Amino acid sequence: MTTMDFEKELREFPTGGSGDETMLDLALAEGRRRLSRALKRVARPRARVGEIDTPVGPLFVAESERGIVAVRFIDGADFDRELHALRERFDLAENRAAANKVGDEIRRHLAGDNSALTHRIDLSLVPSEFQQRTLRALTRIPPGAVTTYRALAEAVGAPDAQRAVGNTMASNPVPIYVPCHRVIRSDGSIGNYGGGVERKLALLRAEGFRIGDALKLSEGVVLGHRETRIFCRPGCSAARRAKPGKTLMVADSSLARGMGMRPCGICRPA
Amino acid sequence: MASRATEIKIPVSFEEALRRHEREIMRFLLRTTRDREDALDLFQETWLRAYRAYPRLDPDASLRPWLFRIASNLCRNRIRDLARRGRVFADGDYPDHERPRDADGGTGGFDLRRAIAALPARQGQAFAMRKFVGLEYREIAEALGCSEDSVRANVYQAVKKLKPLR
Repeated sequence: MTTMDFEKELREFPTGGSGDETMLDLALAEGRRRLSRALKRVARPRARVGEIDTPVGPLFVAESERGIVAVRFIDGADFDRELHALRERFDLAENRAAANKVGDEIRRHLAGDNSALTHRIDLSLVPSEFQQRTLRALTRIPPGAVTTYRALAEAVGAPDAQRAVGNTMASNPVPIYVPCHRVIRSDGSIGNYGGGVERKLALLRAEGFRIGDALKLSEGVVLGHRETRIFCRPGCSAARRAKPGKTLMVADSSLARGMGMRPCGICRPA
Repeated sequence: MASRATEIKIPVSFEEALRRHEREIMRFLLRTTRDREDALDLFQETWLRAYRAYPRLDPDASLRPWLFRIASNLCRNRIRDLARRGRVFADGDYPDHERPRDADGGTGGFDLRRAIAALPARQGQAFAMRKFVGLEYREIAEALGCSEDSVRANVYQAVKKLKPLR
């Protein structure tokens, strides 16, 4: 037997010719059917992922069926670890079109369109109930306003948990959409940011804040009460009486008016 | 700020991996087990194991050898289990009721089939991956966790043993 004959016989083994392929097709169809049934029992939820370019740098976004589950700055030191954690929880499939939709929203937001971010958010990567509650509270801080770690801790009913609030901001899996950049220090300085202070500045400036080289909010900031819908100058006696958890720092009076607030009758902000 | 410090590699989705490699995995299992039901069982187990381990697979790792490593390990375990239960066909002496079925359910005897079954496990697997599925020597080496030279030697030895039988 020649080597070529032997190779041919191997190719046709075991049933010979096209019959082998038919048999393979049948087995494959049955195998797929059984596997799909078995996979249903262990399947992870799916997430569409992709990379986008934005004015604040390249971002990796993941979107589950419930909403955006992760937005990561690709140059972050922990990116590989975060991608691994995401793969443990979701079946990832690259989908550039879906990612680009998120990218469009972020670009419009950074260009000053405060109603651009419309995607829903999925907080399933957030491990604790407290962290989820804190991040949900944060989504109620509108663009053009900021709060402090202390005020946010009060707003979620844990006034002594400022440090835990800070840690929650640091591990926020959906920055920009869950606006952890809108949390600053009580002294008015902008504080840190997971993606770097430069990005926090870019985001706050895009939302209407004027921030100088000292990295502090400018004089034009007003304090808005979330329940009375009244805004005051920072030194107003009425503002001092308000609980920190109920107030927001708004970039300026016109933005406060845009949020449906009216000026205080005591301090009469411009 | 917009500079790219890190290139990310998004791994191919599991669905896509399945679509790309299911056919050759099934071909390998049918050829290696020579039994349709065994092949179907191992096909399901191979992909379930792959699915569970998929999040831990390095996106830079070669998918094909990794899948074949899972499949070949399962085949080896199955052969070991069958041997423990006395279903060893390597000697070519089959009682009628235990004769291994062809992949299409038949029980026709075929010298080449018996001869392949009689090969040492590593030789049989390297041979099947090379000749029946068409894997590169490099991929087989990765799948079997040995050197490329060792794979070449195993395939060569297998061919040397099988060829004179024809």
